[in-house]
Amino acid sequence: MMRTESNQDMSPARPRILIIEDDRRMSEALLCGIEAAGYDVTSASSAEEGFFLLHRSHPDLLVLDLTLPQRNGLEILQQIRTERIDVRVLILTSHNTVEDRVTGLRSGADDYLGKPFSFPELLARIDALLRRVLPLSTSTSFNIGDLTLDTKTRTASRSGRPIDLTVREFDLLLYLAENRGRTVSREMLASDVWRESSRFTPIDNVIDVQIARLRRKIDDPYPLKLLQTVRGIGFSLREPQP
Amino acid sequence: MIARPLSLRTRLTLWYVAVLGVLLLLYAALVFGFQYAVLTRQMFHDEVQDVVTAEGLLYFDSQGVLQLHQNYYSRPTSHLLVDRLMEALDLSGHILYESPTLHGMMLGGRLQHGEGDTGFNERIVRLRDGTYVLIVSHIHTLDGVTMVIRLGYSLGPLRERMLQFLILLLVTVPAALLVAGVAGQLIARRGLRPLEKMASRAEGITASNLHDRLQIDNPNDELGQMARVFNHLLERLDQAFRQMKRFTADAAHELRAPLASIRTTSEVALGKSGSESQYKEALANILEETGRLNETIDGLLLLARAEASQPGQDQSVFSATELVNEVLSVLSVLIEEKQISVLQDGDMTGEPTTIRADRPLLRIAFMNVLHNAVKFSPRRSTLRIVWACGKEEVRITVGDQGPGIPTGEEEKVFDRFFTSSSPATAQGSGTGLGLSIAKLVVNRAGGRIWFEPGQSGASCILAIPTFTERLASQ
Repeated sequence: MMRTESNQDMSPARPRILIIEDDRRMSEALLCGIEAAGYDVTSASSAEEGFFLLHRSHPDLLVLDLTLPQRNGLEILQQIRTERIDVRVLILTSHNTVEDRVTGLRSGADDYLGKPFSFPELLARIDALLRRVLPLSTSTSFNIGDLTLDTKTRTASRSGRPIDLTVREFDLLLYLAENRGRTVSREMLASDVWRESSRFTPIDNVIDVQIARLRRKIDDPYPLKLLQTVRGIGFSLREPQP
Repeated sequence: MIARPLSLRTRLTLWYVAVLGVLLLLYAALVFGFQYAVLTRQMFHDEVQDVVTAEGLLYFDSQGVLQLHQNYYSRPTSHLLVDRLMEALDLSGHILYESPTLHGMMLGGRLQHGEGDTGFNERIVRLRDGTYVLIVSHIHTLDGVTMVIRLGYSLGPLRERMLQFLILLLVTVPAALLVAGVAGQLIARRGLRPLEKMASRAEGITASNLHDRLQIDNPNDELGQMARVFNHLLERLDQAFRQMKRFTADAAHELRAPLASIRTTSEVALGKSGSESQYKEALANILEETGRLNETIDGLLLLARAEASQPGQDQSVFSATELVNEVLSVLSVLIEEKQISVLQDGDMTGEPTTIRADRPLLRIAFMNVLHNAVKFSPRRSTLRIVWACGKEEVRITVGDQGPGIPTGEEEKVFDRFFTSSSPATAQGSGTGLGLSIAKLVVNRAGGRIWFEPGQSGASCILAIPTFTERLASQ
């Protein structure tokens, strides 16, 4: 209740995110990166400070590191859930086994990301978590430049000319289109498009080749390149800035 | 006081003494009973003989009183005279004769029905003064008078002798047990001495001297066997330990290489003022190196997970053919790109390829093996997957037309962080963990994986036990 009221107070409402992370560098980088993505971000380096900020500023989302110096992140999570504070929680941790994941989600976390993660993936998760309350876009077609995707007929065309895509190529293009303007990491593609549970597979190689093939189909015949490789990070589907 | 657990030596001795004690007591009881029976029988025979003798010596004197000839015996102290207790009764129960040794006491009380009718009835009676007597009764007719003659000897001396015998037994049995116990303890100590030696030696073996072995005095006895088994255990531990050490060193090296690259890249980038694109280039390089680091760590964690998995845990039953086709479909884009033709042949219709394993792990194993084959296949070559499905195992041969594995490295390629000496294969190798993981996973599923030597191209064979309902019900 408090959250919606305060949202109305300040307009335009930028979703507010609180980061509780004890590693100073990590915290700074997260603050900087998430802020750049258009959020209102505050950070705390201890559980006490975090609780204080949580009660004062009522953030929409809490990015919580599980390994904190004095109190375990899980305890904080449990207290948040007992106090019925209305906040979505995204857990970050380097203990990244299935069991840890289950414990975290059982304790009331909304999502879970293992360190080291790719930053685009963190942004995508944050977006997804905050979108849960907002109405989902119901559009069945995407337009990036002169590229059009129809999710109903599962067809793509560029400048009106249809492009023949395989199932996987369409899924890949659709995923990139859904995240248009943003960079998508190989980890995200592996888990969301290829549905690979383990990272230790030669899947990166497969992704690279698949991207190259997709590029041949959607970009090569056209002067304007939409599918870009962001070195070291991943791929991005966007209209290039002039 | 808290009872401390006894040593093996003492326990052995105690058991042995206890068993021996029971046996000795049983033996003593048998001997005692037998002796008593023999002596009693002897006494009975004496009495029967004595009755026959006494009957010949009885006579009625002039007053009609029954008398016994005393002058028959040469010596008046004959034990038959001294010990013999005798009385004679007529059929109405009147005492006709009474030996002086009875001192007026009745020997057998009133006449019993049928007493002495058949041979020599024997029975034990108690006299008025408390003496127990074994008597025999016999019917005898003298001068037209039918009488019952009772004759007996006191059981006192016999019982006294038996009591002495019993005391002797009761004294000697504990003494024998004591001697046996001490001897047993000594023998056990002597026998177990090699064990103590082994224990003290084993106690001295720690991680730093795992190569030490127990001394085997006699390889054929039980202790020698134990020492041998223990030495084998040490051998395996030693090997595992050395492997672990090498692995840690290799892992450290493998992690250090990307770290060094990250460090140098950053230092160089910060050391000179460059353009924005140069900085971006450096950062991208660093990111790629962290990706390498992460992949190595993922591989190590996967190895740890596969190693820690218990047999039977997380296992499911599935078709190997399906799994291979699933992996091939993931890799299909690479296969198409290199224009490789995949040929699957062999006995596909015969036995089903149902296997039982940790599917996600086995999928990674297949993924690694097949990806290797694709990676090393030249363009427009053929990748052969041959199936041989027997009753026992499914055998999958993955053969490529790549550079193959150098002779002598067929085993080593499964080593962790192994890098081939051949420049053709060293190119484009990944973390160096893929095949190690594949091997570990296949072994955990009860199967084997190896490279067939002497083939053109690499020929990897995976043999995985087939799963049948029959096996499952066992």
